[in-house]
Amino acid sequence: MALDNPISRRHALRLAGTAAAAAAATPLVSSCGAGAPKSEAGGDAFTVYWNAGHGYQAYEKVIDEFEQAHGVTVNFQKYQWPDLRTRILADFASGTVPDVVESPDVWAIEFAVSGDARSLRDFVDQDGAEMGFPDDWLPKTVERNTYQGEVYGIQVHYTCTTLVYNKRMLDDAGVTPPSTWDELLAAAKELTGGDVHGLALNQDYSYAWPWLLQNDVRLYDPETRQLLVDRAAAEEAFRFQADLVHRHKVSPVPVPSTDYAGPQKLLSAGRAAMIITGPWDLMPIAGTSPDLELGVAPALRGASQVTSSAGASAFVPAKAKRPELSWDFLKRITALETERAATEEAGMLMPRKSWATSPEATSDPHIKAFAENLPLAEDFLLDLAPTGKSGEVSDTLFKNLYQSIVVQNTPVSEALATFDAAAKRALAG
Amino acid sequence: MANRPRRRRDGLSRRYTRTAYLMLLPAILFFAVFTYLPIGNLLTTSAHSGPQADVFAGLDNYSRAVSDPAVRHSFVITVIFALVTTVGAIVLGLALAMLLDKPLRGRVVFRALLLVPYLTSVAIVGLLWRNILDPGLGILNRLLTALDLPPQQWLITHPLETIIGVMLWQHVGYAMVLFLAGLQGIPDVYYEAATVDGAGPARRFRHVTLPLLMPTTLFVSIISVITGLQAFGQAYIITDGGPANASDLYVFHVFNVAFEARDFGYSSALSFLLVVVILAFTVVQLRYGRRNEVQH
Repeated sequence: MALDNPISRRHALRLAGTAAAAAAATPLVSSCGAGAPKSEAGGDAFTVYWNAGHGYQAYEKVIDEFEQAHGVTVNFQKYQWPDLRTRILADFASGTVPDVVESPDVWAIEFAVSGDARSLRDFVDQDGAEMGFPDDWLPKTVERNTYQGEVYGIQVHYTCTTLVYNKRMLDDAGVTPPSTWDELLAAAKELTGGDVHGLALNQDYSYAWPWLLQNDVRLYDPETRQLLVDRAAAEEAFRFQADLVHRHKVSPVPVPSTDYAGPQKLLSAGRAAMIITGPWDLMPIAGTSPDLELGVAPALRGASQVTSSAGASAFVPAKAKRPELSWDFLKRITALETERAATEEAGMLMPRKSWATSPEATSDPHIKAFAENLPLAEDFLLDLAPTGKSGEVSDTLFKNLYQSIVVQNTPVSEALATFDAAAKRALAG
Repeated sequence: MANRPRRRRDGLSRRYTRTAYLMLLPAILFFAVFTYLPIGNLLTTSAHSGPQADVFAGLDNYSRAVSDPAVRHSFVITVIFALVTTVGAIVLGLALAMLLDKPLRGRVVFRALLLVPYLTSVAIVGLLWRNILDPGLGILNRLLTALDLPPQQWLITHPLETIIGVMLWQHVGYAMVLFLAGLQGIPDVYYEAATVDGAGPARRFRHVTLPLLMPTTLFVSIISVITGLQAFGQAYIITDGGPANASDLYVFHVFNVAFEARDFGYSSALSFLLVVVILAFTVVQLRYGRRNEVQH
């Protein structure tokens, strides 16, 4: 059959353009409406979502034993935190969930509020005394996994941030490790010169919290439903951080990205003398700059001597098919001997009281220094978590607030007004 | 008797039509399952709210989108991003194509080199440029410092312009290839006739090349606008949408509404609005382009 109207190049291009528009629309519309990719859980597979940086060999041994005990194959999937959140939210939407999920911050409470995390009360009632839960866990690590009196997650790691410095740089400059904001500023000025900054602030908004907490600021007051109270103290803490960068120029301008390792890289490269960080940066620094002699100082003192806590919990999704197996996995992964092995291997800090007295926690000076700061650590998200809005308010709006002030040097009151308006809408919605 | 040939033609026509639809069936099924069903799902979800998207909200998400300053900001910078990258791709792509359409030595190598960024994943391109441009540890500032030039902080001071530049760097090679194909499809006789009529290079370009390249230009513009409006990886990998939302491209914003704020209903409404915008842009471009086409 002859073509009476052959398609010209022009028509072909036009058709291709239209087809491209239709094709372009497809992934966009399907990404939000169609839900999540299917989980591999089911059958003999036992699916665990875990942080990519926490895949320790110490856990491999536990997984082997778990597989042998239950005749299952553990599908141990590792993600960075943002990707893990994307994945688990997509799974919740699809209804096909993994068996255990490692989670940072207060996700366990957030997902308890939304009905996606399973209460562990029955398991704790049954096995708590035997495994030492909650008595052997630091109280704050139980609190950050508890919603309306029920436990929804078990703390796996518990860490905090504090001042980490290059000992040689401080010694050469005749500077002692600072313990207050004023001392820090003076030290940073002394250490800044050439292509070296005395301090490197992080682009990640969560690193603003040691300063805010030291000025007695709370992210959310549940009684008054106000954010960033006391406001004058919040303004002062933000202004101090902005001044470090823009007025005193003792810190480079933090560069927005998904990577929070910028200051660690500057310290490792000898381009920064001090950073605020947690024990997770010890291994990378040792790996890239083995000759760098590190010091770990106590948390700085503002109005209070305090710092921000960090760490990870593990929870069981409400729709997990075999919660008994999930619970057994949690028990094994949080056993004291597993914690000690993980500390020995990776220098990670742990939530058990008995861990704090173990040789692994006390023999290494860096781990010991971080561990001594743990009692000073507070969780800035704890009050906000029960609103179910911690993701939007903290990850999106507070991030913009921090970057606006510290990166862009926007006047603090102006940035706070923008934050207030957006946060009010978020909390009302 | 007179009706018999027509009936035969009608019968043949029906048979052809049936065959055509039968052959189209797999494609129709594919689009129904993977395109129209998700669109239906999206529309349904967009009428709901809450973390589980299970509370009926009617058109609330759409009215919220219209009055949301974050969405407005994100939409405006995304349109700027799409338009600048489109104009840039057309101008640079055409310039490169005309350059490499000449009998230069090694032009095949240049063409291939210019196309390589387009064939590279946006994640790799993003990380590459992130490492080049990082003010503290990036290669570019080391080079500038070595040359006694002031260091740049573009990721902080000009984030949107920076990701526009990266987008152009990645996509201009593709536009160049399309324009090359278009240039080679223009018969020499038009240039010869124009030359005989006394037209110089500029007039030949304006009155022969540009009009006859209109279908290619239209195609490049449609593809570039769609790609620009849908850009995600550049904001996600290079700037994380920052600082303070300065490079919060629309799809990145939608992603964060879905996976940080956990508001699938609202993100579905925002997605659907973008589909409408993309279709509107495409229709306008097609109509405008068709009006300016020259037959040859």
